[in-house]
Amino acid sequence: MTQPAGKVYVYGVIGASGKTAPQVEGIQAAPVRLVGPAELGALVSDLGTDALSAPKAVRAHWRVLEEASQDATVVPARFGMVMESDDAVVTGLLEAHHETLSALLHDLADKVQLTVKGTYDEELMLREIVQSTPAVAELNERLRTVSVEAAYYDRIRLGELVAAEVDHRRVADTVAAIARLEPLAEAVREQEVREPSAAYDLAFLVRRETIDDFSKGVRELDREVGDRIELSYVGPSPAYSFAEASLDEGSPAWA
Amino acid sequence: MAVATTPRGYIERPRPSGLADVIEVILDKGLVIDAFVRVSLIGIEILTIDARIVIASVDTYLRFAEAVNRLDIVQDTDSQGLPELMESITEGGAKSKVKGLAEGAKEAVTGDDDDDDDKSQSRSRSRSSSRSRSRSGSSKSS
Repeated sequence: MTQPAGKVYVYGVIGASGKTAPQVEGIQAAPVRLVGPAELGALVSDLGTDALSAPKAVRAHWRVLEEASQDATVVPARFGMVMESDDAVVTGLLEAHHETLSALLHDLADKVQLTVKGTYDEELMLREIVQSTPAVAELNERLRTVSVEAAYYDRIRLGELVAAEVDHRRVADTVAAIARLEPLAEAVREQEVREPSAAYDLAFLVRRETIDDFSKGVRELDREVGDRIELSYVGPSPAYSFAEASLDEGSPAWA
Repeated sequence: MAVATTPRGYIERPRPSGLADVIEVILDKGLVIDAFVRVSLIGIEILTIDARIVIASVDTYLRFAEAVNRLDIVQDTDSQGLPELMESITEGGAKSKVKGLAEGAKEAVTGDDDDDDDKSQSRSRSRSSSRSRSRSGSSKSS
């Protein structure tokens, strides 16, 4: 194989037997290639020296993995994995971590990621909190008679009380969602929520043939949470959240 | 069309993911090689840092306080509906009610030029483009 002079971008690892690279443009519109010995392969593309557009690069990373996962099990790499050369990919990644990668591929085979996110109807939730929490209601009443500047710390205190109530609900609602859906999945990962009105962000690893059963569970959950929580149910995606492994690069023979 | 806001109470099946749905896991999860050669080209480092910004607590508290206060205002004056009220408040320079900085970073990535995918994103993109622009300006200076 001819060795490109530049660095290579790595999208992920697949069980390569009988597979070809997906026909999709990678980063910088470079074709995606499959590198490696027969059993394990890495999806890569050559990086040019042109400046990289981050939004486009992220988009390409995503597109390649989505495409590849249509007909193969993929262990996605986290965005930003760049290696020196095809040789480095083979020795530093595929050979050095053959066992870990094979095990991951085995675990993820014929499974997909389905993601369930819950978002509180904020107004509904806040009304509920004011009504059920006397301390919040009192402080809120009092603050209405004070100027915004004068009440700065009281306002923080009020927000703190509200945030604590939101946290309680978050914990309880997350437990309930997991209890409902975990039995229908192979595994679950609770992901950090970043928005104040987020209830939960749950990634489930689900067998392809049981997606319909899982969807039924989501419908039930949706009924249970009613108007309080709006659900977003997304997938199937490559099992991004279940491919977590930190690998040492091994002996850097290529460096 | 089956989008995020299906009428209450009926989710038939998962909706295909757009980039916006998975941007966080793409940046956060997946295989990592220690000491891999980082993409050092401008943009990527900033992007991954931005996406990890967690909303400062005090900021969150103040926004909750503001939101709770606003509830009462709405109850007292029927003349102005909640949407209009929020519009005028956010236009006044205050932060909008629930979107955090992480959301801004997300929009910076997914709200890019081409539109070969995520239909679900177009709605929120048009709504928030001006906001994310002004926020990205101010977040650099802070």
